[in-house]
Amino acid sequence: MALLELRDLSVRFRTNDGEVHAVNQVNLDVDAGETVGIVGESGSGKSQLSFAIMGLLARNGTASGMVTFDGQQILNTPPKVINKIRAEKIAMIFQDPMTSLNPYMRVADQMAEVLTLHKGMSKKAAVAESARMLDAVRIPDARARVNLYPHEFSGGMRQRVMIAMALLCRPKLLIADEPTTALDVTVQAQIMALLAELQTEFGMAMILITHDLGVVAGSCERVAVMYGGRIRETGPVGPLFTDPAHPYTQGLLAAIPRIDHGDEELAAIPGSPPNMSRPPEGCAFEPRCSYRREECAHLAPPLEDFAKGRARACFAPLNDVRGGRATVHLSEVEPPAGDIDDDDITPAPIADAIIGGAGVAGTSSKVDQP
Amino acid sequence: MFAYVMRRLAVAIPTLLLLIVFSFLLMHLAPGGPFSQERELPAQVLANLNEKYGLDQPLWRQIISYVWGIIAHFDFGPSFVYPDRTVNQLIAAGFPVTLTYGTLAFVAAVVTGVALGVVAAIWHNSWVDYLAVGISIGAQVLPNFVMAPILVLVFTLWYRMLPGGGWSFNDPSFWVMPVIALSTSYMASIARITRSSMLEVLGSNHIRTARAKGMPEHRVIIRHALKPAMLPVISYLGPVFVSMITGSVVIDIYFSTGGIGKAFVDSALNRDYAVMMGVTILVGALTILFNLVVDILYAWIDPKIRY
Repeated sequence: MALLELRDLSVRFRTNDGEVHAVNQVNLDVDAGETVGIVGESGSGKSQLSFAIMGLLARNGTASGMVTFDGQQILNTPPKVINKIRAEKIAMIFQDPMTSLNPYMRVADQMAEVLTLHKGMSKKAAVAESARMLDAVRIPDARARVNLYPHEFSGGMRQRVMIAMALLCRPKLLIADEPTTALDVTVQAQIMALLAELQTEFGMAMILITHDLGVVAGSCERVAVMYGGRIRETGPVGPLFTDPAHPYTQGLLAAIPRIDHGDEELAAIPGSPPNMSRPPEGCAFEPRCSYRREECAHLAPPLEDFAKGRARACFAPLNDVRGGRATVHLSEVEPPAGDIDDDDITPAPIADAIIGGAGVAGTSSKVDQP
Repeated sequence: MFAYVMRRLAVAIPTLLLLIVFSFLLMHLAPGGPFSQERELPAQVLANLNEKYGLDQPLWRQIISYVWGIIAHFDFGPSFVYPDRTVNQLIAAGFPVTLTYGTLAFVAAVVTGVALGVVAAIWHNSWVDYLAVGISIGAQVLPNFVMAPILVLVFTLWYRMLPGGGWSFNDPSFWVMPVIALSTSYMASIARITRSSMLEVLGSNHIRTARAKGMPEHRVIIRHALKPAMLPVISYLGPVFVSMITGSVVIDIYFSTGGIGKAFVDSALNRDYAVMMGVTILVGALTILFNLVVDILYAWIDPKIRY
């Protein structure tokens, strides 16, 4: 049994513009100790997916389906039940460390309250433990800094504080929602390295939500690619990057700027993401897809296994997609992208290129085919 | 912090001096004077009166001797209209009254206003919210000159529970209606400010972090949301407190409380120069003081503000 199981998880928001279908029937397993990346562009539903797991959806949002953690159903449970899970079993760090800490409270108080709440520790012991945890995330002079306010830390240091705060109860699962998006590139790399290190040390599983493929390549074992609130493709990180089986994954990878290709123009996927308050009847990617078929406009393709540990949601024959016709087609739509030759989607060079292009976080060794 | 407060108090002195000079000049600029009446006084009587009160002197002399009286003897001069009373006596008689019902009204307005605003924000878009908003709109549209007679009608004439007017420091039943009448519209404003600022805070990222810690919602609100949500309320409360404790002419007239609100308006109508100046200086000094208090409270709440 997996540590976390999502079954048909859907999230809806009631808005003046109608009902927004932010997340649609997501199925995903996370094993103990494993790192799973969830990738997608803004509005693909990846953050809302994580909020739904933690019961942190905005007031106008509702989640349906099943979320099972350690054998316990935790979706839409009463506050008393979910509050025992939050921070203690599943902790979360957020995108913007500048605003995610309470600016009006000392770091010591913010961190200590987690321990006094879940572990029944005294305030003094909790503050001491908090300082130890700040030390563990490499904040220099932690014993003194624990008494500072958040604005007295830099952005990267604040994210370290967030990480330390999340790890206080030694959770079994850490959900990191774009933990490095608001940070500059060198700090990003440090934070990702720190997360990877702490993860091994604490033996916890991690869901890493990001739009940065470089981050995923550097730190995840498995990836789920989301588009229009659905998982489009999932699989181990190596095969997924070298041999994308979904047109959207392929488009994403093709859109990464290549450091070794000089000043070529950026490739892009033509069109724009769907408006999820009027979800399309068929596949949400259909209007932008170069492999689209007749049924795509009317039927949403189900996520189906096609190889060991790999699944995709697409009607186009696997071999067509693998044949890489997309690149050719995209180049017709977007003339500047014409410089991309077929090499771009062949396995070997791309792995290095992803790391080089994104310039972030991580070692290329992890991307190599397992 | 101490140095900051000292600096602010030092700035307060020239500010008050400017206030005195400007109000003195404006007051004398207005046509008429304390002794102009429908039936003209004989020229000699008028001249004698003007001499007695120093009104025959050039304006700059009058200002200097007025300010000197305050600095040297804390003497705000005699009332021009009630010859047997000094301004100090008038303020000493009226200010404790307005201070009492004003402070009580302030406390009532803050407690109920903040409570209404907070519950409305917590149960946003539910019947609790609609009720709270309804109450505050009702309180807002009923100005105190409407509230006061309604209160007298209900509590004095119908139920005969409360005295319809007058004042006693020993009998709280005299305080009830002035407090209610004065506090309602302020309560409504406080409720609206609290509600919108609380809604904003509850949607902020650090509140999501607090919830992710597994804290019960009431602790999230008390520990994490209340302080930041109070910032806009506090900046509103500084000037409001001053205007409440320096009284309201409507309250003083309807309930015959004898507070300085009425004295101030009477002095303006009678051109009672000394009383006008005295009350103006009192309000000015209190305004300066409570703006300073607001700034200190801000620094206490927000650690980013350091003086």
